[in-house]
Amino acid sequence: MTVRRNIAVASAAAAVLLALAGCSSGGGEAPAAGGDGSVEGKEICYITAANSHPYVTPANEGAQAAADAAGVKLTIVSEEFSPQTGAEQLDSCVARGVDGILLWPLDDNSYLPGLLKAEQAGIPVVAIDTTTGDDSMALIASFVGADKYDQGKISFEQLDKALEGEGGVVIIAGQAGNGTEIARTGGFMDALEASDSGIEVLATVNADFDQQKALVAARDLITKYGDQIKGVYAEDDTMAKGFQQALAESGLGITPFVIGINGEKGAFEAIKAGTQYSTIIQPPFRNGELAIETLIAVMKGEKVEEMVPLENTVVDSTNVDTLEPAM
Amino acid sequence: MNRITPRTAGRAIVQYRLLVLLILVAIFGSITIGDFFTIDTFQSILNRATIVGFLALALTPVLIAGHIDLSVGSILSMAGITTIAMQPVIGNVPAAIAGLCVGVLIGAINATIVVVFKISSLVATLATLLIFASLALLLTNSQPLSSTDPVFGIPLTGDLLGIFTPRSMMFVAATAILFVWLRFTPSGRNLYAVGSNAPAAKSAGIRSNAYVVATFLISGLFAGAAGVLQSLSTATGSPVAGAVMLIPAITAVVIGGTRLEGGRGSALATLGGVLALGALTMALEFNGVPAYTQAIYTGVLLIILITLDRLSSRDGRPASRTLRRVRVEPTTPREIPGRNA
Repeated sequence: MTVRRNIAVASAAAAVLLALAGCSSGGGEAPAAGGDGSVEGKEICYITAANSHPYVTPANEGAQAAADAAGVKLTIVSEEFSPQTGAEQLDSCVARGVDGILLWPLDDNSYLPGLLKAEQAGIPVVAIDTTTGDDSMALIASFVGADKYDQGKISFEQLDKALEGEGGVVIIAGQAGNGTEIARTGGFMDALEASDSGIEVLATVNADFDQQKALVAARDLITKYGDQIKGVYAEDDTMAKGFQQALAESGLGITPFVIGINGEKGAFEAIKAGTQYSTIIQPPFRNGELAIETLIAVMKGEKVEEMVPLENTVVDSTNVDTLEPAM
Repeated sequence: MNRITPRTAGRAIVQYRLLVLLILVAIFGSITIGDFFTIDTFQSILNRATIVGFLALALTPVLIAGHIDLSVGSILSMAGITTIAMQPVIGNVPAAIAGLCVGVLIGAINATIVVVFKISSLVATLATLLIFASLALLLTNSQPLSSTDPVFGIPLTGDLLGIFTPRSMMFVAATAILFVWLRFTPSGRNLYAVGSNAPAAKSAGIRSNAYVVATFLISGLFAGAAGVLQSLSTATGSPVAGAVMLIPAITAVVIGGTRLEGGRGSALATLGGVLALGALTMALEFNGVPAYTQAIYTGVLLIILITLDRLSSRDGRPASRTLRRVRVEPTTPREIPGRNA
């Protein structure tokens, strides 16, 4: 008998075996203990964006802490930033018949089939950090995350205050088309238009939430606009850092007001050193915690809000010493 | 009948290593995870394995023919965005067919470069991998396309006969067709000869180039099918969907026992490899093993399986019946040009 045939036979046998084994036990899941009973011993499947990431990792830790506190078993699976992987994981979670699902959506449509299956199976789903398409959101019990549109508005107010209502501003935006980028740019621009401020946006560039790309883009901006730049709105702190690097390189003696978002450790240091004006803390650990608490409330049959916002805390030189960095 | 000795037992483990692996994964899963050993779990593993499975099937004939197709991931992305982009223009089913056509077209381009321009398939498909990965980003402005009819593809991952979903059924059917072709038809068996020794196959009257072209077209078709099914079932045409798919697909094929050197492999072995990898991934995932650690298990597994594979084929016998047959063919001592490594 050839080896090749043996492999084939073995594979076929294995497939049959697994199939037969599968028949021995059905998928019948006991109905959830009705009313507001305890959730202890229940199982939650958490489909997270990544295992290792400055914002996502603390959020995962927060989710784990909240699950431990409630005595719920939490299984964390990571999409590694691929919505296609996430859609398949959602499918497996439903197939396993867990009691609740916490989902970190990465695009608008990919999760729709899985969400429909979850609904059929009566498994509640809560979304964390990012919203997804309207069809999908209709199947999600609640969204727990920062109001990023509001962060854009707050950023405008901060910059307007710093510049006293006039001067040229550049926007270093995130990845084009990303939900966070749309909200943070939209919030800023809408607030600008609604106000009677004399602030003028000189240019908007996309630097993909990446320090290196922000550095490159900022070099061009500084060369082109020079001392016309009175203020910089970076849509996260890593890009703010990129701008400051480019500014230091340029040797120009200008000191525009730089504002960022996320409340990173580096931003705290920059605020203390006076090179950054402000940032906004969006606490990832709390995000994870709050998401699990919300999901547990849904599992208990309690009524929850469609959107559970995280508090946005502005950090500037007045309170930087009293607060802890978010990451 | 031989008595069972450590030696024969060892040999049996080596021969049926995929079966052993699947049993081990099943035991490991059942011990560590409640309700792992259910029909729902199996349905889910098979459903999840469909996309990687189609890519692995795409690679199988190419590898048997002694070539490689690195562009399968890019083909997946291109077929996916084509399908979603064409949906509102020409309708759902024609759009799916258009996606398949794009796959076959890229396969034809690969075949042309390899056969006509005589460029090594490793280089040729590396080039098309890069070109079509970029083109997919360019065509979509690097944004995922959302389907205008997201409901159409949802039944693809619905229940079918308890253990299948419609898309996993398609994968199993494609595996069966490929298996029958490779195993039971003369042309399928000739492919092994092309892969193990192209000059010898040529002198035995086998038109090697035609076989190589056919394998690249099949590869394009199956990789295209992976893209069409993925984009329809997620209602999204992502330009980067295929970027991370090549390595799992090659891993699944190699775990199944198909050799990168050519001349050996089987569609059923690929199915086994895909299932083994899928079951392992799911068991690890639900044990909370982080994604970046899972790769260590996969890598170690790969080394163990390939070592066992070498051990099992070292005892003097040719690795396959086909290989044996090719060896007895008289080779005329003349120069045969154009064999790419």
